[in-house]
Amino acid sequence: MGIIDGLPAHIEKFPGGGLLMTGVNYILNEAKASSMWYMLFGLACCAIELMATGASRYDFDRLGMIFRATPRQTDLMIVAGTLTLKMAPRVKLLYDQMPEPKYVIAMGGCTIHGGPFYHDSYSVLKGVDKIIPVDIHVAGCPPRPEALMNGCIQLQNLIRTERLGHERDRPGLRIITPRQIPGQPPVNSLAPGGALIRPNEIPILG
Amino acid sequence: MQEYGYVGVFFVGGLLFVCFNLVLAAFVTRLIKAHRPHFAKNLTYECGEAPQSEAWVQYNARYYLFAMMFVLFDVEAAFLLPWAVGFQTMWLDLGWLALIEMVIFLAILGLGLVYAWRKGALEWV
Amino acid sequence: MIVEDLSNADCLVVPKEIYRQVAEFLKADAELDFDYLEFQTCADHPPENLNFVAYLRSLGKGHRVGLKIVMDRRHPALPTLADLWANADWNEREVFDLFGVVFHNHPDLRRLMMPEDWIGHPLRKDYLHPNVVKRPD
Repeated sequence: MGIIDGLPAHIEKFPGGGLLMTGVNYILNEAKASSMWYMLFGLACCAIELMATGASRYDFDRLGMIFRATPRQTDLMIVAGTLTLKMAPRVKLLYDQMPEPKYVIAMGGCTIHGGPFYHDSYSVLKGVDKIIPVDIHVAGCPPRPEALMNGCIQLQNLIRTERLGHERDRPGLRIITPRQIPGQPPVNSLAPGGALIRPNEIPILG
Repeated sequence: MQEYGYVGVFFVGGLLFVCFNLVLAAFVTRLIKAHRPHFAKNLTYECGEAPQSEAWVQYNARYYLFAMMFVLFDVEAAFLLPWAVGFQTMWLDLGWLALIEMVIFLAILGLGLVYAWRKGALEWV
Repeated sequence: MIVEDLSNADCLVVPKEIYRQVAEFLKADAELDFDYLEFQTCADHPPENLNFVAYLRSLGKGHRVGLKIVMDRRHPALPTLADLWANADWNEREVFDLFGVVFHNHPDLRRLMMPEDWIGHPLRKDYLHPNVVKRPD
């Protein structure tokens, strides 16, 4: 952690420091919110609605959002579609490969709590927030482009409430701990064929 | 001579700007960056799979051939464009010579294209 | 051998012992000429039976037939058709993965859809897994 995490608290103690930090926060948050580049992460039917929202009628580019194919250049991951247990390690690795600051929108019922696959499905991970922390949940099956657009605007509002030096509180976070799996030792390297989490070991709440 | 002075000022200013940025990058960024290390951020990107090998691999020499051909004909285009812009003036001064000159130039380069074609440099196999 | 008439194809209920010979005959015979294996699947009927179904189709002549085998669901095993029809390879891997039917002489019998280290065969009726949330009755 650089001094940027501890400095704002010191600056705010001085008279006028709060005003300065408000200005700095405003600029940084506007910069972050107005150019969220999202990762093309369509898994299933919600991906079609994601593409439709990015197309000309409901345009993502007017919010400054451009899709990127690689996680290294993105700040936002819109998880669009059903997440199966077999795909979960890949999602986790891709999320970890995104540089900070990063945000996640869980799009559609399947990523929120399993959606139509909640009952009687052995292979669907019921909710993407079991493996990555989610900021905005957009409900729908699939959500209409207007709903997804509203979700992205809500994400922009969420970003504007952030303050430098104060870690963001994530109420959508359910299980994530510094270890990949609670009770397992943390994974620090990845051999070919390895995975950060194994489908059989993903902790599953009912 | 004074005009060269202006150029010199810009040159020195550019150099100073570059040095300023280098100092910023070397010393100031580690103070103000957000440091969140994670080992996955240094891994090769392989669409979410565990990477099989490093990303710096050998690739086919055919790409070099295509790059070379591209550069040659790109430079040819760069010569064609100013000639085309000033052609009307050239026509008044030189007449047919303006056209013949450029045709000779194109013919020489066209000969090079035929050579590359016959040698198989245009095949992608 | 029993013949069942279904709406879109005749279905032959074949004993397990002659399944392989019947399949070879159906492929080799010039008039019947079943050169396309459409799909292979199973239906689980607890407590005793596991029914295996394979549908064959003749691309030249246009007729279809089904082969149905009733097996004991505790030890389901069958000969493979992978050397007669090429797509039987993956069809039988899928059946093995989801139902647990072991195919003799199969070139590469391993799981197809579930992860490699998965335990259990999901499409059986008595399959239990912590990830499965039963619908409330």
